[in-house]
Amino acid sequence: MFVSNKFLSKRREKGVGQGKVSQSLAMFFLLLASVFVISAAQAEVPNAIPPTVTHSGEDVPQPIEFPHDVHTEENGINCLYCHTYARRSPVAGIPPSSKCMGCHTIIATDKPRIQKLTEYWENNEPILWNKVHDLPDFVHFTHEKHLQRFVFENEGMDVENVSEVCAFCHGDVKKRTVAKKVKPLNMGFCVRCHEANDGPADCWKCHK
Amino acid sequence: MSGSDINRRDFLKFMGLGGVGAATLSGCDMPTTITLEEGKEKVVAYLAPEEYAIPGIGVTFASTCQQCPSGCGVHGRVREGRVLKLEGNPEALNGKGLCQMGQASLQGHYNPDRITQPMARKGGALMPVSWEDAWLLMKEKASGTAQGRSAWFTGTVSGHQSVLLAALNKAWGSKDHYVYEAINNAVGSAVNEAVLGDATPVYRFDKAKAVLSFGADFLGTWVSPVHFSREYGKFRSGDRGVLIQVEPKMTLTGGNADLWVAARPGTEGAVALGIANVLLSENQVDGKQLPQAALDVISQYSVSKVAEISGVPGDTLVRIAGYLKERSPSLVLSGESAHGHTNGYQNAMAAMMLNVLLGNIGQTIEASNSMVFDELKAKQGNSKAMLDFAAAAGAGEYDVVFFMGANPVYTAPAHLAMADKIAKVPFKVALSMFPDETTMSADLVLPLSSPYEEWATSVSPYQPKDAAISMSQPLMKPLSVETRSLGDILLSMLKYQGVKDYETFEDYYAYLRSALDSLPASVKAGKDSDAFWSAAVQKGFIKAPSKPGSLKVSLGELDQGGYQTNGDYPMNLVPSSNQSMYDGRNANLPWLQEAPDQITKIFWDSWVEVHPKTASKLGIKEGDFIRIESDQGVIETQAYIYKGVHVDTVAIPMGRGHEEYGRYAKGNGVNPLKILSPVVDEKSGELATHATRVRISKVGRSEELPRLGGSEVQVGRRLVSTVSADVFRRTEGA
Repeated sequence: MFVSNKFLSKRREKGVGQGKVSQSLAMFFLLLASVFVISAAQAEVPNAIPPTVTHSGEDVPQPIEFPHDVHTEENGINCLYCHTYARRSPVAGIPPSSKCMGCHTIIATDKPRIQKLTEYWENNEPILWNKVHDLPDFVHFTHEKHLQRFVFENEGMDVENVSEVCAFCHGDVKKRTVAKKVKPLNMGFCVRCHEANDGPADCWKCHK
Repeated sequence: MSGSDINRRDFLKFMGLGGVGAATLSGCDMPTTITLEEGKEKVVAYLAPEEYAIPGIGVTFASTCQQCPSGCGVHGRVREGRVLKLEGNPEALNGKGLCQMGQASLQGHYNPDRITQPMARKGGALMPVSWEDAWLLMKEKASGTAQGRSAWFTGTVSGHQSVLLAALNKAWGSKDHYVYEAINNAVGSAVNEAVLGDATPVYRFDKAKAVLSFGADFLGTWVSPVHFSREYGKFRSGDRGVLIQVEPKMTLTGGNADLWVAARPGTEGAVALGIANVLLSENQVDGKQLPQAALDVISQYSVSKVAEISGVPGDTLVRIAGYLKERSPSLVLSGESAHGHTNGYQNAMAAMMLNVLLGNIGQTIEASNSMVFDELKAKQGNSKAMLDFAAAAGAGEYDVVFFMGANPVYTAPAHLAMADKIAKVPFKVALSMFPDETTMSADLVLPLSSPYEEWATSVSPYQPKDAAISMSQPLMKPLSVETRSLGDILLSMLKYQGVKDYETFEDYYAYLRSALDSLPASVKAGKDSDAFWSAAVQKGFIKAPSKPGSLKVSLGELDQGGYQTNGDYPMNLVPSSNQSMYDGRNANLPWLQEAPDQITKIFWDSWVEVHPKTASKLGIKEGDFIRIESDQGVIETQAYIYKGVHVDTVAIPMGRGHEEYGRYAKGNGVNPLKILSPVVDEKSGELATHATRVRISKVGRSEELPRLGGSEVQVGRRLVSTVSADVFRRTEGA
């Protein structure tokens, strides 16, 4: 059984607040919880064995240094709020400028990055981002199917934690400003994860 | 291996688990950075997308294919603002299907050789200019043209562009609009009009039990091939209809026929008369449908005489007559290889006579649904227009000529000296997407948008079910900001000419909206302006009311001219059309250059088809370079030894041998149209494209043909099981 971090922390708060458990029992729970926390650090997502191989990609400069950390970690915005296409389409998509401006006509308009964004918007100019994660054209990868498997059709998975699933392939984007390739995304990486998680093994699933 | 604990099975298991598995995966761990580098490609975010736009998922829009005059409806899949794939519009005439030319039209749209800005001739060469300069040049050279000294030379036009073109010609006091198509059914239409009073009647393949076609390649290039292919499917299913094809070179349709007959080119009419003779004399078909004059002519064409004229064995004629008698109703057609002769009209008339004799009129040949909006109907091309234009331009009758959708400098035979005659016109304007031969000889080039970037309406020349106006809508933003649609250019010219009716329209879209608004309420079915427009654009066409047609029957002159032979030039030249290069307009589409010919499997180059008997007589082997010489010139290309061609005939496909027309077309192959003799069909005045006599000889060089497969036999592998006709007749009793 896997228990998410958030769930554990709530439970612990509740236990302490009631103050009715014995010292030894509390000690036992604390130990148990710490075991869970340690193991949960690698296994946030139920019914999944995340890939472990890492890669050290280059820093890719972007026209605007978009702070993923501010949006997700500090303000708690879900990945799928902006990358809304990921659950419906093969590609996750970059959010359209109109989505940025939905908030940023009001929020943080004094920040230089926002001013740059506003300039693009007012000039009717789409932003040309530099692509960080890419696959060769002979590989058919679909975000939609992976999100179905690990999030929407995954019993016990809370969509609020979707960033943990994203992190399988994209690393901990929440801790970074612009994205960087931290997983190799080559065939070995894909196949190992498919083997571990009972994914399809047919050649033509990806090479069609 | 005694003494060891590992047996063979364990060893294999071990290898399977460890060795092989690890080896496979370690190979998969090659870094993808070999081909992909982070940050080297751009990803463009939408600015403010429509709600339906999801990156990675296509949305389908309806439009109309303009790759040949048939005008099939298409559905284009659009993703991230790019049209990626075309399919047939299931509700349109062509149904779900779209031929390979239509599929490849995407490569016309994305072609790297497209003209992206106006060009004007300066010091002998075409130089890029701005639109302002282009309009200034038009003002200077064209707007003061005297009445009647300007002309348009176009391919098939229809719909509202045709309306604007007519209005413009009226404003300029010019009545001359030449509509030219190198591949046309003009002779057939003339006979239909004369006999039936309907130039494009409806052919009911689905009702026919036998089809006898004199060179009508209805599965390849004749009239509306995609629609006919669908009808042909019905004809062949259930009680399987019999298809008999009489032609000098096996076309795609000929390749599908149950009986393929190579008649001497130009004697198709005689064959038809011979069959009629057998039907009347031996098969007890009642001749009361035919006038006495026709019966008199038929009685002169006995089986033995026809066999001598046409080279078709008498028993074959009897067999064909038997099929037609047995299987009623039948359908008799004639196409370009029967029409392209000095007696082409009589050939078509003789074929039509068989329909009358067999009682097919009203059965498998029905009256067309003629749309009530005459001004929108397709102006169909023919080759007489080109001959007339060449004469007029050569006589210096024009100061200004506009070219659009036709490439006469390429398709005209050398004897017309088209380039020289066009050079006599002081100011030539080409509206074109590509730098083809005609465009490159113009003084001003106006860049057209592709059919998938513009608003337009069109009307198919052939309308078998309901009359319809087809809609074209932009499937994506123009790739180049400087290109303009034909409608927009015509509208600008009309405004420039100060024609009052058109001054209020900002662009062609606004004009089309208003034009559709003014359609009668019965067409709009109670919808308001916006709802009607959205429905039309969504569906891809508007059903239009039609006049119920009727067919009369009055058979014309049947008598066939004598068959000409020429000792100096013993062979006949067939410039064959195929559903690939077509008349040469598709030579700039690499998909079609790369797609092997349906019959010979050759690509990227020209070839000449030679019968094995002729080849062995002259010592010609496959791949040998052959010199083909007519009284008008010489071409050289490689031989393909082929049984599907008449013994005294050589066939060279049309469409290659371009001197211009971009990187994919230029310099590939030869153009057989160049060496055509100056002969016309005497009755209709159409160019007799199949009446050229040639002699052939070996050049002395040989090279392997660029050809898929390379073998005519299955080398005993039984990839496709076959049975010979003799064995089949014996065992199946057919």
